[in-house]
Amino acid sequence: MRQINVALVGNPNTGKTSVFNSLTGLNQKVGNYPGITVEKKEGVTKLSRVLKAHIIDLPGTYSLNASSLDENIVIELLLNKNDKDYPNVVVVVSDIENLKRNLLLFTQIKDLGLPTILAINMADRMDRKGISLDIPKLEEQLKTKIALISSRKNTGFDKLKNLIANYKQLSTEACCNASRVDPEYFGNLKKTFPDQNTYKLWLVITQDANFGNLDRNQIKSKTKSFEPKSQSELKRLQQKEIIARYTFINDTLKQTLTKDINAAKGLRASLDRLLMHRIWGYLIFAVILLLIFQVIYDWAAYPMDLIDESFASFSEWTKNTLPAGQFTNLIAEGIIPGIGGIVIFIPQIAFLFLFISILEESGYMSRVVFLTDKIMKKFGLSGKSIVPLVSGTACAIPAVMASRNIENWKERLITILVIPFTTCSARLPVYLIIIALVIPDKSFLGVFNYQGLVLLLLYFIGFGMAVFSAWLLHKVMKTSQKTYFVVEMPNYKVPLPKNVLITVVDKTKSFVFGAGKIILAISIILWVLASYGPNDKFKNAEDIVNTEVKTENLDLTQEELDTKISSYKLRHSYIGYMGKGIEPVVQPLGYDWKIGIAVISSFAAREVFVGTLATIYSVGSENEETIKKRMSKEVNPVFGGKLFNLASGISLLLFYAFAMQCMSTLAVVKRETNTWKWPIFQLVFMTGFAYIVSLIAYQLLK
Amino acid sequence: MSIQEILVWLTFIAAIGFLVKKFFFKKKTKKACGQDDCGC
Repeated sequence: MRQINVALVGNPNTGKTSVFNSLTGLNQKVGNYPGITVEKKEGVTKLSRVLKAHIIDLPGTYSLNASSLDENIVIELLLNKNDKDYPNVVVVVSDIENLKRNLLLFTQIKDLGLPTILAINMADRMDRKGISLDIPKLEEQLKTKIALISSRKNTGFDKLKNLIANYKQLSTEACCNASRVDPEYFGNLKKTFPDQNTYKLWLVITQDANFGNLDRNQIKSKTKSFEPKSQSELKRLQQKEIIARYTFINDTLKQTLTKDINAAKGLRASLDRLLMHRIWGYLIFAVILLLIFQVIYDWAAYPMDLIDESFASFSEWTKNTLPAGQFTNLIAEGIIPGIGGIVIFIPQIAFLFLFISILEESGYMSRVVFLTDKIMKKFGLSGKSIVPLVSGTACAIPAVMASRNIENWKERLITILVIPFTTCSARLPVYLIIIALVIPDKSFLGVFNYQGLVLLLLYFIGFGMAVFSAWLLHKVMKTSQKTYFVVEMPNYKVPLPKNVLITVVDKTKSFVFGAGKIILAISIILWVLASYGPNDKFKNAEDIVNTEVKTENLDLTQEELDTKISSYKLRHSYIGYMGKGIEPVVQPLGYDWKIGIAVISSFAAREVFVGTLATIYSVGSENEETIKKRMSKEVNPVFGGKLFNLASGISLLLFYAFAMQCMSTLAVVKRETNTWKWPIFQLVFMTGFAYIVSLIAYQLLK
Repeated sequence: MSIQEILVWLTFIAAIGFLVKKFFFKKKTKKACGQDDCGC
């Protein structure tokens, strides 16, 4: 079956992705463009018995005058005949209500000499909005074929597919010849490069984009031979070009589009007044955030508990069913919990993206950006960063993934880098046990409990640090990318369940098959490090402990004896020696080697800290009270006195507040930034900062 | 060394190998621009 490439291009908010979903259904895959994390969506649709189309959903762009990484991708593909995805035909998706603005991009693409189809989306709104369109006349003026489509009603797609299949019959003639803005200059350009499309040459001269076999410098040096143009002259010419295009579009639409203003309804204006109100707007947004937070923090707990229990039962069943041995232990204690550790995040990711997708689809997200962008921009963040930042207080993993909705790369990267500072739910078990251990259970002014206040303070510290780091990164990070505050207010729409579902499935798949593999690999490594030791002490742990028990005449139950053996094994495992190895490093923070082991093993997940301490102290139970009692008796091996006192407790709390101790987050950051550079930066910067702060706190308070 | 032990170490090596591959050996991106200094 023959295959053609189809590029789906359009302004943001024209429903381009809905058109893509309608054309491809679930025959689509989401990846990244090489080297960058601009989402690349591609899919396949059958056009006839002998022809299928490989459709690429290109990032939304307002024109071919690129101002962002996303927009560059569109230009580079359309200019580069050598690209494997170079389109046979371009479908420009536009919105019936914003045809004037959308047609600018269409006329530019048409001038490139590519077969171009105009797909006018949201056609179902024409009657309601009092719009009528003279299609034959518009087709004649634009020298193209038009498909009136509606993703919502799923109409017009047969015609669109038919037009795509017959793309060879489309005219490749320019509809708005840009050369007329300076006939002499463009004439000379044509003479110098007779085989090239003049508008392509013009874009190569004025844009930072690639161009097939021609080198930019070669073009520039050749063009210098007839009449050089300065940068300011080129800019002026660009402006003239845009004005010429809009004049053409205005004239065309005057003849082909009529709008009955009386038929238009004012619901949008009323909703905008409410949702963007300087008090109500923020209040409504706060309520929505609270709902999202509640869902991913609380509701998601039910399926998460179910997953947790199922994996625990499966692990137990495996251990009892398979032949006894270390590999069975690895499967039951390493691989199954490792996979469980990936699957357990699915409810949170799915719920968060369900909300984000609904907010985006409904048009509300643009209002949120408008409300919060001004404040967030001061810290180098986007208005859209607020959702990932708040979600980060439940879990950093879905939050990092949610930052993909931020279009500007620098803002997206800063958001990703600072999210792990917000207090996620995995920190809570650590906070609760340390606070209970070192902060007195008394009240301030008889009302505010000190322990509660410290917990609240830790939340504020986390959020404050996220905002401060964002500001710092904003000042430090340089980018050549130009940023403009362009926020478009799309019409309010009822979200299409199909689009919402596709987003949720895509994001979940992306986490499970992308970051999940890294998490599983690290889980296996950590299990081996905790289950093997470098010398005979580990191998002979049972004999050694049994002898000790006999020598000391201890009367232990079998359960207590097993716990003691586990504790001994952990101390003499590779991870145990690693804990002892880092003791000189953690001692200035007020910790001993046992805390060192817990700090290393909690790299798998922060909450593992409590369980690890329970094993080291041979508690045999993860009951908080039991561990707390045992921990309160621990003595500092160097200075004497209680190991867990106010100084070491605060130091530990601050360490956990700032350190990057979550392999899943690192894996997801790697996945989202497409490089190890940023997760390593996060690991070094956050953990280094945590170390310094904890050191200062301990040294001041001890 | 029992077969179970061998399987454990093979899995361990596979996990390390996977991370090393992810960490050090990036997938080669196809340069399709037709020129050397395209920057893609």
